[in-house]
Amino acid sequence: MKQITELATPFASISSDETFFGDDLPWLKSLRLKARTQFNNAGLPAKKEEDWKYTSLRPFARQQFNHGAKTQPLSVEQCNDYALLDDAYRFVIIDGVFSAELSKIDGLQAGLIIRPLSEAVDLIQPHLGQQVELTKPGFTALNTMMMSEGMAVTVDSNVKIEKTIELLVINSGESANLATHLRHVIVLADNSEATIIEHYLGLNADSSFTNTVTEVILAESAQLKHYKLQQESSKAFHIATLAAKQAAKSQWTTNSISLGAKLARNDVHTQLLGEQSHVVMDGLYLVDNDQHVDFHTRIDHTVANTTSDELYKGILNGNSHGVFNGKVMVHKDAQKTDANQQNHNLLLSRGCEIDTKPEMEIYADDVKCGHGSTVGQINADHLFFLRSRGLDEVSARSLLTYAFTADVLDRIDSELIRTALANVVEQRLPKPSI
Amino acid sequence: MSEQEQINEVLATDYQAGFVTDIESDTFPPGLSEETVRKISRMKDEPEFLLEWRLKAYHHWLTLETPEWAHVNYPEIDYQAISYYSAPKKKTDGPKSLDEVDPELLRTYEKLGVPLDERARLAGVAVDAVFDSVSVANTFQDKLAEDGIIFMPFSKAVHAHPELIKKYLGSVVSYKDNFYAALNSALFSDGSFVYIPKGTRCPMELSTYFRINAANTGQFERTLIIADDDAYVSYLEGCTAPMRDENQLHAAVVELVAHDRAEIKYSTVQNWYPGDENGVGGIFNFVTKRAACRGVSSKVSWTQVETGSAITWKYPSIILQGDNSTGEFYSVAVTNNMQQADTGTKMIHLGKNTSSTIISKGIAAGRSQNSYRGLVRVGPNAENARNYTECDSLLMGDQCGAHTFPYIEVKNPTAQIEHEASTSKISEDQLFYCKQRGLDADDAVSMIVNGFCKEVMRQLPMEFAVEAQNLLSLSLEGSVG
Repeated sequence: MKQITELATPFASISSDETFFGDDLPWLKSLRLKARTQFNNAGLPAKKEEDWKYTSLRPFARQQFNHGAKTQPLSVEQCNDYALLDDAYRFVIIDGVFSAELSKIDGLQAGLIIRPLSEAVDLIQPHLGQQVELTKPGFTALNTMMMSEGMAVTVDSNVKIEKTIELLVINSGESANLATHLRHVIVLADNSEATIIEHYLGLNADSSFTNTVTEVILAESAQLKHYKLQQESSKAFHIATLAAKQAAKSQWTTNSISLGAKLARNDVHTQLLGEQSHVVMDGLYLVDNDQHVDFHTRIDHTVANTTSDELYKGILNGNSHGVFNGKVMVHKDAQKTDANQQNHNLLLSRGCEIDTKPEMEIYADDVKCGHGSTVGQINADHLFFLRSRGLDEVSARSLLTYAFTADVLDRIDSELIRTALANVVEQRLPKPSI
Repeated sequence: MSEQEQINEVLATDYQAGFVTDIESDTFPPGLSEETVRKISRMKDEPEFLLEWRLKAYHHWLTLETPEWAHVNYPEIDYQAISYYSAPKKKTDGPKSLDEVDPELLRTYEKLGVPLDERARLAGVAVDAVFDSVSVANTFQDKLAEDGIIFMPFSKAVHAHPELIKKYLGSVVSYKDNFYAALNSALFSDGSFVYIPKGTRCPMELSTYFRINAANTGQFERTLIIADDDAYVSYLEGCTAPMRDENQLHAAVVELVAHDRAEIKYSTVQNWYPGDENGVGGIFNFVTKRAACRGVSSKVSWTQVETGSAITWKYPSIILQGDNSTGEFYSVAVTNNMQQADTGTKMIHLGKNTSSTIISKGIAAGRSQNSYRGLVRVGPNAENARNYTECDSLLMGDQCGAHTFPYIEVKNPTAQIEHEASTSKISEDQLFYCKQRGLDADDAVSMIVNGFCKEVMRQLPMEFAVEAQNLLSLSLEGSVG
């Protein structure tokens, strides 16, 4: 157990008399306490755990993180530049602190509530901590114990939210080695619809640690389109858990684009709990230099007649390391499940590494399940075709690399969001160097 | 007949190799200690180096814990309750020819359909028959020796060719490799040894037939096959055991070495006793099989049809060291009743321009669990590695499970890796189509399953293919999914 204790050192300085919001509420206090016990017992996950087989937390464990932040106020103009969308509700967190001045959450559509988590405890009490397993060692327990802020969103029954909600989380780098623990809770009532973008941004190259947990609750026939864009600084540690529960006929589309951070680990999980629920789980990772990106996804088909469609694509350049582990679990009696999972990877340079593991566990017989996984490089014939049309090698490779990402981006149905995300991806495309 | 009734009918299908041979045997009392290891070595009159190696393995084993990562459940094995050696009583110093082999044993192999006598000549297969812990008959040795081919029981080879054993034993599967390999290294009692000299194409199929007969014993055999430069050999392996209520342990190790341009084709039909419909009894089959493609342009191909064993834990692997070497893995794994199989392969690409193919077909029926677990690894210097993996599962009945755990690790940007997997059941449409053409349900299922497995079945040598197809239709008869 020595190893685990060592790994827990970045948080060794957290004293038990530290105060958090909601400490006056017994249920929340006891939830935090439970998490503290869990975390202290299990510590951070070690590499020998199957879920962390390819991702070492050693570089992370060597860091010391601070929790007190000095924030550097941004001007509204700066914030406008950083935001992905202009015409959207905007919820801004800078260095772990909610900024009312920069946020645009006035005049919300009827039936929609957006509030900082610390002021919405009553609202989210029934849901908080229900979607994530505390018993799993590591970061969710740490998050529950330390969560300091986040975005709480609720949508009433039969309400369709017209405007996109952009959650903008900015790490200004003003306080070095800042650790933030954010918890977002999104609750959609029956037959409601919403679109939410989570956008993480690092402004300078300092080390930081973002530990974020997003809980999504979709009631019957609710529809959520959820996008996540992660552009943290090249020395940042980004650990994210995204967990949903879906009732009958609900539809969840989620797309995670991971571009930044030195180490980015994403756990994406949904439980299809009602019949005819459907999930589209997509992702795109582009990494370079010594970046490490790790996606662990899990889809639980727990009842009959549920469907899932998963597509993850990765581009690796430099000495980067990519990890994909997708698990599709078809429980007993989840007949007529239709699950499809794809993971495709493009390796652009010597020195990069990809470890992919598409898993299926199936306990029902009348199902249609498939997965595919590939690792390869730019197709020589495609390259030749473009070269013969007069493109130079670098442009041709760039174009083909972009084309590789296109089928993930094409699955975003809002043109506004697709264009915005495609622009970001395009700028970040690695320059092939073979 | 309803689906469930039809499935139940399958569950009632008899295990045809389940008889017990009544024969006097020398059996060690149960128990495992350093003395057990020494005693086995003494029985075999082994040279000092082998005893030392066994003891090293034993002491290493003591430091290991049972691996628990596989998708199987079974009660803890009491290693002190197992007998580690059992051999039919010898009348002389062992049979010189088939005439001297105990007729009861010959009848056993006759019943199992293994040709030990002159019929074998017609079949063109040289057989090494291993009964419990020892080899009881070994045919065609002399004829093979004319070509310089060595095919003999391991315990004989230790004396006849100690230099080869010393050089190759443990060179592919080290005694430190895993829990069961360490156990086997300490306790292996017999097995087959094959050496094909340079430039030789083995004129007949070589075959080892393993039979567990005695109760409460573990079988630990070790097979070592070496194909020198430009050599070729096709090797077949079959196994059965009587029906007994207690579980029996089988922990084998197979090592293959292919030198420059050599090719080894290794086929297995594994039909150990799978236990009854409630999961009582059956063999625990924990096997380590690995091949090293050491030479340039060498090739190894594993083909396995796994129908037996209560638990199968087996990952025939290939280390592609030589440039341009090729590895193939073809597998059909059928589980029924309470059987559990966690099987697959590992392809380790190290040399340049290496390629591998994995075709795995899993069929789960009854309340069984059938998992594919595989690893494709491409090292940083393995230029232009190529892998194609296809693993399909067929589910019959809603009580069984089919799982896929493929690991893909790539450290070279010139690699091309493709993996695809699918899970389905026999569709009503397919069945309807066949029935409408006048086939009854059983034949229709058999035809569909055979079609499902065709890619693997056609890799088997002809004699084996027939046996394997019979086994397949036997173990799935009546199970309309």
